[in-house]
Amino acid sequence: MPSLTYTPADLFDELMDSSGKIRECYQNVADRFSCMLPEELEQKVKSLELLFLKHGVTFTVYGDQQGTERVFPFDPVPRVIPAHEWEVIEAGLIQRITALNLFLYDVYHEQKILKDGVIPAEVVHSAAHFRPEFVGIRVPRDTYIHVCGTDLIRDRDGQYLVLEDNGRCPSGVSYVLENRSAMKRVFPQLFGSAGVRSVDTYPADLRSVLQYVAPRPKASLVAVLLTPGVHNSAYFEHSFLARQMGIEIVEGRDLLVLDGFVYMRTTHGLQQVDVIYRRIDDDFLDPKVFRKDSMLGVPGLVDAVRRGNVALANAIGTGVADDKVTYAYVPQMIDYYLGQEPILGQVPTYLAWRDDDKKYILENLPNLVVKAANESGGYGMLIGPKASQAEIADFHDRIVANPRNYIAQPVVYFSQHPTLVDGEFEGRHVDLRPFILCGETTKVLPGGLTRVALTRGSLVVNSSQGGGSKDTWVLAD
Amino acid sequence: MLSRVADHLYWMSRYIERAENVARLMQVSVELLLDSVAFGSKKTDEYWSPVLAATAMEGAFRLIYPQPKPGDISHFLTLDERNPDSILSCVREARENARTIRDQITDEMWSEINALYLLVSSSGGAEMLERTPQSFFEKIIHSSLLFDGITTATLSRSEGWNFIQLGRFLERADKTSRFLDIKSQSISETDHAVDSLQWGTILRACSASASYRRESGSEVTLQKILDLLLFGVEFPRSVRFCVRMVDEMLHAITGTPTGRYSNQCEKKTGALLAKLNFADPEDVLSYGLHQYIDELQIALNETGQAIFETYVLLPQESTRISPASLSFSPLEFELRQQQQQQQQQQQQQQQQQG
Repeated sequence: MPSLTYTPADLFDELMDSSGKIRECYQNVADRFSCMLPEELEQKVKSLELLFLKHGVTFTVYGDQQGTERVFPFDPVPRVIPAHEWEVIEAGLIQRITALNLFLYDVYHEQKILKDGVIPAEVVHSAAHFRPEFVGIRVPRDTYIHVCGTDLIRDRDGQYLVLEDNGRCPSGVSYVLENRSAMKRVFPQLFGSAGVRSVDTYPADLRSVLQYVAPRPKASLVAVLLTPGVHNSAYFEHSFLARQMGIEIVEGRDLLVLDGFVYMRTTHGLQQVDVIYRRIDDDFLDPKVFRKDSMLGVPGLVDAVRRGNVALANAIGTGVADDKVTYAYVPQMIDYYLGQEPILGQVPTYLAWRDDDKKYILENLPNLVVKAANESGGYGMLIGPKASQAEIADFHDRIVANPRNYIAQPVVYFSQHPTLVDGEFEGRHVDLRPFILCGETTKVLPGGLTRVALTRGSLVVNSSQGGGSKDTWVLAD
Repeated sequence: MLSRVADHLYWMSRYIERAENVARLMQVSVELLLDSVAFGSKKTDEYWSPVLAATAMEGAFRLIYPQPKPGDISHFLTLDERNPDSILSCVREARENARTIRDQITDEMWSEINALYLLVSSSGGAEMLERTPQSFFEKIIHSSLLFDGITTATLSRSEGWNFIQLGRFLERADKTSRFLDIKSQSISETDHAVDSLQWGTILRACSASASYRRESGSEVTLQKILDLLLFGVEFPRSVRFCVRMVDEMLHAITGTPTGRYSNQCEKKTGALLAKLNFADPEDVLSYGLHQYIDELQIALNETGQAIFETYVLLPQESTRISPASLSFSPLEFELRQQQQQQQQQQQQQQQQQG
């Protein structure tokens, strides 16, 4: 009989407290798993896999012209978050996204926070994703980030910390919905009287957000989802969301701009588009303004946005808010705009362009995690304790050469969670990505994507590098 | 409906119908082969050659297999990825089109087409073909029919439905006419006398044996076969029936009354339907069956082209960067576009990796 127990490590363990006792919120899950015969469990895991394959819940693997598809590995042990913890997470995320949106409005208008010296102007102006072209342009409802996927981790004491804010095109929400639906089908008895909050309203909520930001009120509003195309590894998600929202999924070539209005090509001629939920990065949006060689975008789209004839969700230029240097200043933003203390903590961050910090970073490289501030550098990251002398020397030189592009953080070991590995339960590192929608109200989806590093000891939870996911249960009470 | 979506729906159903027809042809050919091997009268490849000719794949086959060995033809037609019209390639294309517009079709439709692809592309599928070829072909045929039935039972009768039917019936008209062409070459030599075994095969490939017997009894004559497969009013695989469906679907899309036309594709099918409505087997035989079928296929191809030009190339000249202005080939254009689609994802991943 597989019992849900294993040896807890010197970390925060989601299932057990430090004495090895199962936490109250997991009691129900632990009981039910321990009633299952190994064969029964094995058979259920197989049917889960088959279900994902049949539904086409897959992502595309790169570097393969045939477009090989893989099922995102799924672990059957759900992650459980009790109501009192979720209340804190929810309040913290709403506070944070509110501040980030006020910050974006500010940096694209009066730039008061820079003038008041709370955040150095240099931080914003040197951010790779800051779009000076958009300073002074109004966006509908003054909302910049409509959909945010914020990554949370738990430190040794079980405190939830924000690891990063994804305010551009966060992905993963389709897995949240598909994971839940698969769990309900294969493990109906697990749910029982657990009181798990539903995640089903997300597509309807997202659609309301799109309606709310329409440039002008209209009886029949046309919203579309703009995808890079079927070869993009997140295409499943794009197609899933479009279907769930009942809107068209379009590629750049389906749209055209005439006299500052956006239209889609239909079998009955051109139809005007009011709102675009775009899953394409700024760089590729419009070859007339950003990357000239973009084949995914729509020439003239940016002009249509500037004229206020079409709304984009998320708005252009949100990347300045999830820059890793900007991240270090979010607590100051919360204080400046809201006059509040941050509800959620974050990982202490050293900025190499501040001389004191640089000195500290260079002296402590073997104990720190170093990250490039924006991904387009493509220089990856350094995990000090696991790096070789040569790698450390290499990063030393890079930081000296381009301090703005680097930040450093102490190593934070994520919490661990029971995970099924070859028929046995073992502890594996997990993170959590909840999804936040900003429309008329700000809503946090009660659940989220729990990603798990399937390799023992690994902290990398990405699907491309051996990560999997779990259903995430937020309990009603 | 988006023009691109209409195009994907149309090709999704064309490819599934194409896979079905290759399977039909293979199924009866294998049956026939078993008979004649027992008699020991003919070499196997002689049976496969007409099949190749019927699917218009002879050229491609000679190119890939300059010196064919036994078994090459059947592999070429079933699981050969290099043949764009093999069963595997057709099912993959059908499924890829479905995946692209998955938001437009029902979950049940997707499940069926995806399950078929998973089977055909798996080692299990290859094994099934090896051990029990008849069950393999039956599976393809049934899956296509099931897909059709699921579509009928679950999909709203909106424009998408019309484009799906267009693809299916246009492909079916083309394939039925090609089946007839398999034996058309040898007709003059034998002076309209028919090899009932071989023509019986073609009737079976079109699921037409029972209808034939009901209408014409057990004697097999060329006139009666043509009457059923070319001109049958009620038989759902006859060329005339299929063209009538294409005509109806086109008129449903624009709302134009039948008998009139509002665009090139309606004009084309209207004319073709009139031609089929006012002809009989005697006319065809005196004109020459092969030539008649040849012209029929040209007209069907032109209809397909007209549908593309009317609904997909729509409506204004594109303002996006054209491949020509970037000075590389359409294939390269496609390739670069794919790279960007993936590249942009990699950037997002790096961004989210933290």
